[in-house]
Amino acid sequence: MLIGISLVSFFIMHLAPGDVTSTEASFNPRASEESRQKLRELYNLDKPVIIQYGLWLKRIVQLDFGNSFASHQKPVLWEQKDKSGNITKGLIQESLPITLMINLIGICIIFSISIFLGTLSAIRQNSWVDRSITLLVFIGFAIPGFWLALLLMYWTGVSNQWLPISGLHSLGYQNLSNFGQFIDLLKHLILPVSISSLSGLAGISLYVRNGMLDILHQDFITTARSKGLKETKIVFIHALKNAILPLITIVGLSIPGLIGGSVIAESIFAIPGMGKLFYDSVLMRDFPVIMGILTIGSFLTLIGNLLADIGYAWADPRVRKGLVK
Amino acid sequence: MKKKFLLLNLTTILISSLFVISCSKEYSEVIDYNKEYKIISGGSLINAMAGEPSNLIAMIAGDSASSQIAGNIFNSLIKYDENLNYAPDLAESWEISKNQKTITFKLKKGLKWADDRPLTSSDVLFTWKLITNPDTRTPYASDYQLVKKASAPDPLTFRITYESSYAPALDTWTSLHILPKHILKNEDINNTFFSRKPVGSSYYKLKEWISGQQVTLEANEKSISGAPLIKKLISRIIPDTSSQFLELTADNIDLMNINPIQYQRVFPARTDLQEKIELYKELGNGYTYLGFNLKKEPFNDIKVRQALNYAIDKDEVIKGVLLGLGEPISSPYKPGTRWNNPNLNPYPYKPSRALKLLKEAGFKKNDNGQLMRDGKPLKFEIITNQNKQREMTAVVIQKRLQEIGVEVSIRVIEWASFVNRFIKTGDFDVVVLGWGLSLDPDQYNIWHSSQQGPGQFNFLGYSNKNVDRLLELGRKELNISKREKIYHKFSKYLLEDSPIVYLYAGYGLSAVHKRVKGIKNPAPPAGIYHNNYDWFIPNPLRRNEISAR
Repeated sequence: MLIGISLVSFFIMHLAPGDVTSTEASFNPRASEESRQKLRELYNLDKPVIIQYGLWLKRIVQLDFGNSFASHQKPVLWEQKDKSGNITKGLIQESLPITLMINLIGICIIFSISIFLGTLSAIRQNSWVDRSITLLVFIGFAIPGFWLALLLMYWTGVSNQWLPISGLHSLGYQNLSNFGQFIDLLKHLILPVSISSLSGLAGISLYVRNGMLDILHQDFITTARSKGLKETKIVFIHALKNAILPLITIVGLSIPGLIGGSVIAESIFAIPGMGKLFYDSVLMRDFPVIMGILTIGSFLTLIGNLLADIGYAWADPRVRKGLVK
Repeated sequence: MKKKFLLLNLTTILISSLFVISCSKEYSEVIDYNKEYKIISGGSLINAMAGEPSNLIAMIAGDSASSQIAGNIFNSLIKYDENLNYAPDLAESWEISKNQKTITFKLKKGLKWADDRPLTSSDVLFTWKLITNPDTRTPYASDYQLVKKASAPDPLTFRITYESSYAPALDTWTSLHILPKHILKNEDINNTFFSRKPVGSSYYKLKEWISGQQVTLEANEKSISGAPLIKKLISRIIPDTSSQFLELTADNIDLMNINPIQYQRVFPARTDLQEKIELYKELGNGYTYLGFNLKKEPFNDIKVRQALNYAIDKDEVIKGVLLGLGEPISSPYKPGTRWNNPNLNPYPYKPSRALKLLKEAGFKKNDNGQLMRDGKPLKFEIITNQNKQREMTAVVIQKRLQEIGVEVSIRVIEWASFVNRFIKTGDFDVVVLGWGLSLDPDQYNIWHSSQQGPGQFNFLGYSNKNVDRLLELGRKELNISKREKIYHKFSKYLLEDSPIVYLYAGYGLSAVHKRVKGIKNPAPPAGIYHNNYDWFIPNPLRRNEISAR
């Protein structure tokens, strides 16, 4: 499966014209075509695609993701140590934790707020609460993120100076205490995380709402009501439990999304995450980096599917016993 | 279920508490930025860069972010002074032999690397060997491969001999950063820690580099030219220019490059910004042109090229695209410099003249107002890469050409595809692109008829025997006034042949916080940065670094 994915992505990548030697910076009369040809040979870019793929595959089975083609030659995945002990960190190693952190916080926020909003609109179905929640989450979904981001940056950063505008750390970061550093980081994360969560609210809260409505109309809820159970208990224990089952699939499917960042948000907030890394490497035709990210992404997708299935079986006895499919 | 709600509560508490914390901080102080301040050292300057440097070894890197940072760390043998004349850098003096083939550089005495080791001519020799080594992954080797013999007879002397005299030689030695032999002799230059932990000899040395976030330089006290006044240069990496601008207005950065809209529209309208931010403009290092594929009909006809040149209103392009922040040019050299031929003028906007020339070339208007020749309309496609200014330029040109009956379409293409699919294959009609306004007048690689192979830079296919001869002569002539004549003539031929329509040379625009003093305004020909070691920030104007965000 992984081989198939990597083969397809490798070939699609090479369908795009150009390679790392044809960047805008190299379009310089001082840089001769012979030197560029020499570079192409050094990177094996003059060989047929299938041989390049073979070479790549040979390295990848030893978990060697190689070094970036770009002039910095950084390792793609993990740090390397040279003979005198200087460590060069890997590109993915540097970007992944940042993206992962933002996305994990984002997902927690999306799910907790969505479940809350979805439940609320389900129990107040068709009331003004329901309507305004739906309206709000759709506005959040439809609003252009970069535009809202810039407005919020201006409001909270320039006219009021409440929050930092961009970046991950303040300038005097090193001089702060551990707790101070943590607060500093959180302050830098508030805007990016809320912007990236906003568009996710609509889908999941509607999912919860509809799931909830389905369940609330089922017989066992009527039974529970007739038993004289408190409404809160019915909603939060009996109904919600069932309503959020399908979310397990969504969580599973969002695992590969965890390592992908948004190029626009990362550029605006000056966050060195995976989205920008991938985008830049595509523009640079930096093949090892592109392939590294794609391979890890597809690997995580497979893992996510597996986890979703396992999670389902764990949460729902009917699946475990093979009663429903 | 409890856990979920706990999480929700926690996040709400955290977020609201953060708001409280951040609201409680405030500061307001009236500072007079326009007062005269005493020159004083110390403080730090924060600027914004759109891209992260890739590699601080300039011969390998090639991107502008890298050369900007590396330029503060390394020295070359010689440099350009503020008026773009050659000036000593590591070399105290240089001497050109009678036969113009040998150059002898005398190094300054007592040069030191930032790690206190002596810098001698053996470092220079080592650097030359490095860049000409075929294993070094550098695109810039060709200029230095012309050196037949290089030697370092004593620690202060470096001598090079060219196969035949090579006029751009001195220029090439202004851009070669001298690297330390004692650190790099056993390193693989292509993949070394040195590219991220360099040791140089210039005003600053690298203090810290946080990937994707910022590069911090601090003063190098060992620098031969003395220590710079500002002790720390912090370059924050902010890819988005609107975010950079917000940071500037919020006082978090001191310096950024701005665009014409910000210069002409935003700043004049915002008195609060004018109070604390000073704007600078200097002629940039490049020009934008419309280039014809000379191997294709009808652009192989000089009359058609001249006609199209007359039909394009350059002033309108400058007004529309650059909001007036550019200059029309008539040779590939910076206006005001020695190499620019002052007797040449751009083609004026004269549609009637254009139509007359097109008629002479055999084009006639049909009933729809289209220009036709042999039953075919005069129509072509302008291609350009994803660059907003170039796109807008193409649109302005499209409109003017449509008015005289030329059908123009525009296609915008991503850079790598642009070069490989269209430029290298020669499969295009007309391009809108840019070239550098180089400081050395040599334009051999761009205009000599021998440079038309795939991947070479005369991709328009220009060939003119007179120009070829002049370019060859100009490369060999080291006498400056003779050279000047050669390139004035060359520019004249180039303008007459009109293989390209010179559109504009845009200004480089920077916004600098008024706390930074010592910047020359108006900017000298070399730009505002050339004396950045003389900039200073008076004590009362410095930002509190702990609270700075």
